[in-house]
Amino acid sequence: MNRRAAIVLLAAGMALAGPSEISGQEPIEKNLGRPGRKGPEPPRGQPDFMEFNWIAGGGPTAWNEYEYTPEGMKRFAAYDFKVDDPAYRCVGSSWTRIYLNPNVLIHVTQGTDFVRLQYEWMDIDRRIPLSAPTGSNPRRVRIKGHPALGASAAWYEGDTLVIDTIDFAPGYVSTIAERAGMPQSPRMHTVERLRRDGDVLVIETTHLDAANYRTPVVSTVRYRKTDWDLMDYGCDPNEATVVSPR
Amino acid sequence: MTLWLVLAIAVGSAYGAGAHHSTVVNFDSSREITVEGTLTEVRWMNPHSRFRLGVKSADGRVEEWLVEMGAVNTMKRAGFPMDRFTVGDPLTVIGAAGRRDRAVLLREAILTDGTHLTPDMRPRTSGRETSGG
Repeated sequence: MNRRAAIVLLAAGMALAGPSEISGQEPIEKNLGRPGRKGPEPPRGQPDFMEFNWIAGGGPTAWNEYEYTPEGMKRFAAYDFKVDDPAYRCVGSSWTRIYLNPNVLIHVTQGTDFVRLQYEWMDIDRRIPLSAPTGSNPRRVRIKGHPALGASAAWYEGDTLVIDTIDFAPGYVSTIAERAGMPQSPRMHTVERLRRDGDVLVIETTHLDAANYRTPVVSTVRYRKTDWDLMDYGCDPNEATVVSPR
Repeated sequence: MTLWLVLAIAVGSAYGAGAHHSTVVNFDSSREITVEGTLTEVRWMNPHSRFRLGVKSADGRVEEWLVEMGAVNTMKRAGFPMDRFTVGDPLTVIGAAGRRDRAVLLREAILTDGTHLTPDMRPRTSGRETSGG
């Protein structure tokens, strides 16, 4: 797929994305940069041990060995970092891409019937109702303005938070370094598994996308507990596209 | 100000390599350059803060250079002294050469009083990328 086709597909995906079920939420905390705030006490009976602020840099990032389909390889090769990165429009391109961003925070809130993940990167605020692990039709939510982040459902398996996401607009699993341009098609199915290991939050994300990959793609990213607070991100597409002198 | 570029061999460490757009993709971390100029714009923001520098070339023309930095959130947490940068001030920038023309990723800023500042406010080690956003 050439670059123009990729842009058209992306635009089409954005247009087709339904409205977010997330509305009327509290704003992300904006007590800029002051360390030391403690999160609220988690409700009883919930696996509360993730309810902290986490920052990237909890350990090495790992990838499995994965294999492209011919179409996936073609799309990967066609990626043009000068124009194709959705971040130029302040838009997330995949959950793995978000977790890969350095130096940003995530705050986790664990409610009795929901989990909320507030990502500093692009001010993404994700409140997902909890479903039964064996339910056949879990309730899913989208992130408004981020069609490549799909529709997510969540449940716990023991002390692991599982987030299951489908219905993606085309995007990129990664836009970083040598993996920049790994494609994501609407057939993508992503499963995030978050678990706490001491002061480290281990986030394993499995991507299944038969259009682009013969095998699952698995990334493992580690965040560490931090006393820093989330800050407002305030990405402006008019500014994010400035990458060259006039 | 006179433009002068110093190409240096740098170690290819990729600390903090990712950003909103990947710094490794957009900049050549193995090629370090130095740019001297006058600040014409200072923007502290996410995903990337930036300076614009007016740089005088050998033939006397003033060309604009773009100096990219990490996210302002990251720089705030590091305690980067943003108030020390004012439009009109001379500035020397050392950084990774952009893959686009006249662009550089800040590794070190040198103020007129000789103060050296790195984006993460830690002593610079050769080749380490600046923090991204």
